Amino acid sequence: MEKVTVNFTLNGDHESITVNPNLTLLEVIRDVFGLTGTKEGCGHGECGACTVLLNGKAVNSCLVLISQVEGKEVTTIEGLSRDGSLDPLQASFIETGAIQCGYCTPGMILSAKSLLLKNGNPSDEEIKTAISGNLCRCTGYAKIIKAIKLAARNGKTKDAGGES
Amino acid sequence: MSEFRWVGKAFPRIDGRDKATGVAKYVTDRVFPNMLWGAVLRSRYPHALIKGIYTSRAEASQGVVAVLTHKDVPGLNAFGIINQDQPVLCKDKVRYLGDSVALVLAESKECAYNALDLIEVDYEPLPVVSDMEDALQTDVKVHEKGNIIEHVRITKGDVEKGFREADLIVEETYYTPRQMHTFLETEGGVATIDEDGNITVFAGSQYPNRDIIQIARSLNYPMEKIRVIAHYIGGGFGGKDEITAQILLALGTLKTGRPVKIVWNREESLIAGQKRLPMKITLKTGVTKDGKLLANKARIIADNGPYTCLGSAIMKLAVEHASGPYYVPHTDLEGFSVYTNNCIGSAFRGFGATQATFAIECQLDLISKKLGIDPLELRLKNALRNHQSANLGHIPSPSVGIAETLETLKNHDLWKNKGYYLKTDRPYLKRGIGLACSHQGCGLGSFFPDYGAATIILLPGGKFTLKIGCPDIGQGNGTAFVMIASEVLCCNPEDIELEIGDTRSTPDSGSTSASRTTYTGGRAIIEAGNKMKANLFAEASRMLGVPPDSLELRPHCVAVKDSDLKVTYAEIAERLSKENRFLECYSRFDWPTADLEFKEALGLPHFIYSYISEMALVEVNVLTGEVSVLKAVVSPDAGRIINRQGLEGQAEGGTVMGMGYALMEEIRQVDGQYMNKDLSTYIIPTAQDAPEIETVPVEKYEVSGPFGAKGIGEAVCNPITPAVINAIKNALGISITKIPATPEDIYFMAKKEFDLLRS
Ligand code: FES
Ligand code: FES
Repeated sequence: MEKVTVNFTLNGDHESITVNPNLTLLEVIRDVFGLTGTKEGCGHGECGACTVLLNGKAVNSCLVLISQVEGKEVTTIEGLSRDGSLDPLQASFIETGAIQCGYCTPGMILSAKSLLLKNGNPSDEEIKTAISGNLCRCTGYAKIIKAIKLAARNGKTKDAGGES
Repeated sequence: MSEFRWVGKAFPRIDGRDKATGVAKYVTDRVFPNMLWGAVLRSRYPHALIKGIYTSRAEASQGVVAVLTHKDVPGLNAFGIINQDQPVLCKDKVRYLGDSVALVLAESKECAYNALDLIEVDYEPLPVVSDMEDALQTDVKVHEKGNIIEHVRITKGDVEKGFREADLIVEETYYTPRQMHTFLETEGGVATIDEDGNITVFAGSQYPNRDIIQIARSLNYPMEKIRVIAHYIGGGFGGKDEITAQILLALGTLKTGRPVKIVWNREESLIAGQKRLPMKITLKTGVTKDGKLLANKARIIADNGPYTCLGSAIMKLAVEHASGPYYVPHTDLEGFSVYTNNCIGSAFRGFGATQATFAIECQLDLISKKLGIDPLELRLKNALRNHQSANLGHIPSPSVGIAETLETLKNHDLWKNKGYYLKTDRPYLKRGIGLACSHQGCGLGSFFPDYGAATIILLPGGKFTLKIGCPDIGQGNGTAFVMIASEVLCCNPEDIELEIGDTRSTPDSGSTSASRTTYTGGRAIIEAGNKMKANLFAEASRMLGVPPDSLELRPHCVAVKDSDLKVTYAEIAERLSKENRFLECYSRFDWPTADLEFKEALGLPHFIYSYISEMALVEVNVLTGEVSVLKAVVSPDAGRIINRQGLEGQAEGGTVMGMGYALMEEIRQVDGQYMNKDLSTYIIPTAQDAPEIETVPVEKYEVSGPFGAKGIGEAVCNPITPAVINAIKNALGISITKIPATPEDIYFMAKKEFDLLRS
């Protein structure tokens, strides 16, 4: 199989890799870069555990072939907290009890991040729609929805604080 | 102010940060240099004889290092917690499509899976046993000894007398489906071997210490050279209690001398993994005209699939719970677990009580309707009280909170203002409210040794290490353990370093299952903590020159009562270290058991139960058959709550899981074949399906429990299913005896009642 070279940004760093073209973004993240925060729950776009941000939008990385990320920006859960400070979503997930086994958590947080990036004040319905592709078997979703609302509120207070 | 510093608070998980940042390494995240990938060849037929297995083409295929078959299993080629009837690698017969026939070990995952197609197996297909009633009659045997794994019958009083005295007798048969755990991390892990032959297996497991016994038996290998680490795990719910990939992982690394990784893909997990057992439950119930239950007769058949796993124990729990958390003077309860060529049935949150709860709670609504008695009052009238004899004639521990949980629902706005909540403004939308009760035996039951153990070590700097075996599979027992230790040792949870789920470094604390973990582990920790406390007092007494009985614990220190004189844990640790000593305290705790034991049904009965009532508000669209669960109110009695946030998490997660069981989840099988194989065709609830859930706990103090706690991880899954079904029946006036009640089912049933399309 002829290898391809792909240039993209991963969690803020420029990367250039030469790999088999049949690799998915999920495989590259986990097996090439060793970033295991991105999980595989099905490999078929059915569970959302592999969700990452591609140019700020949530995608199932198991459905993205590596060539498709050429020139794009990829953010995984490892790239969400900078220098040890948590993203408001990470903090609110921990605080509200939105995490149990935690296997869905990275994907869930990134789907929520994608929502909050375009809508800082989502309704319950908008939250439910945004995470409807992310299965969670442990929590029953109630605390996840609560966590996303809390992060939206905290994000706003933080922004307001920044302006003053 | 509460008498506790930590117990009862809503405390965030201790591993939350590692999980939210992606730092937490799950067992299937582990990689090692020079690691091989393993792929399992599954059976082509649900039932067939194997005439030959030819691996040479696969062995020659690119990247393949070895292809292992039954010939390569050095010890007993069988495993199973109860009966060792499941082959590690099948030799002469396959009994379901998930059977393991060969293991390919290759340089990459791709090479391993590609080579599976090159293994040739000669099969001689056999007739398939696919129906559980049929399994009792047919000449086709799944195993030589016949298709009945276990049969039990337990009676109390005189059931026929009860029926003679009854004013009303109702008889109905209920059917429950094969439900998948759908943990997000599928079965699997990694195994390594070192130059001295020590094998380490990282695997999704609910009881690593028992895995070692099963691995050693099949590998014919010394137990002390095997270590199993079960941390972190992406969900279990019972489906990782029996062996999944552990023996093959260990075998692979033993045979190749290299690290081996096996992770079942989602389809394998669906086909080969263990599931909730489907049951057929026939109940005949006699009652007086004012609603007193007099007699209950049950006949239960459980489709165990081809191997026992924990299935026969699950059938027995269904028998034990078949009359619900009620006082019924006369019972006759019978159960069969049978082999079929369907998917394996084993442990799943609720463990047989879930199936039984569906049946008896639908039965109670039927009685309520026939007698015209309010369903809540009917249940309250029969609710088991302290010191009354339960289902099997035994007296449970006097922490029976079922009546209080019902009172909680009775006083809730949703129940009191039913009329308001039931209104809709569209003729095709119908609303209903349903409720149900349940209970769940905690622990392994009579006869089986059931114990927990913990070790606490004082560290330099005055912190502690807490070591305990039973893994945290996601539900949060690790956090509860740390809270309990912090309470006893009067320190902050940050001062406790937890080690969990590692057979080398943590004491055997039994399985993470059976609503036993917080209770058992908690008791062991309290006892180890008290020993530590006594030691700290002894050291402080020496250092301060005062008698130990004048001392008390204050945060991070031992102090003289009514005085400022104190010595910190850090100072004690420093002193010990100078004297070349350290403090390590171990304690083991054994469960109390019931006053009764059944030689013919080992494990029955239980002594301590958790209790629970739940109600649901549903809206049914009669044009589409779609059901929305709008709201659920759950009242659990888990004794004293250790972690309020953990309890709510269980109640919410269990509610949504049980709702899926009621409305959508089923692995459908025809002649042993699977009609659904992925998460597009096996549907679980998403955020859009989940209702608003309110948890209103009752805390019925359990005197033997840690600070009065019982278990709750399973009961939360039970009552919601019949509550939802009863609500639908209530909304539409139809009868439902089989779950899941899918939109198609409901559409056709509703069509008869409301033909809105005709006009
Ligand atoms: S692993 Fe990508 S959606 Fe499930
Ligand atoms: S926390 Fe376990 S799947 Fe979501």
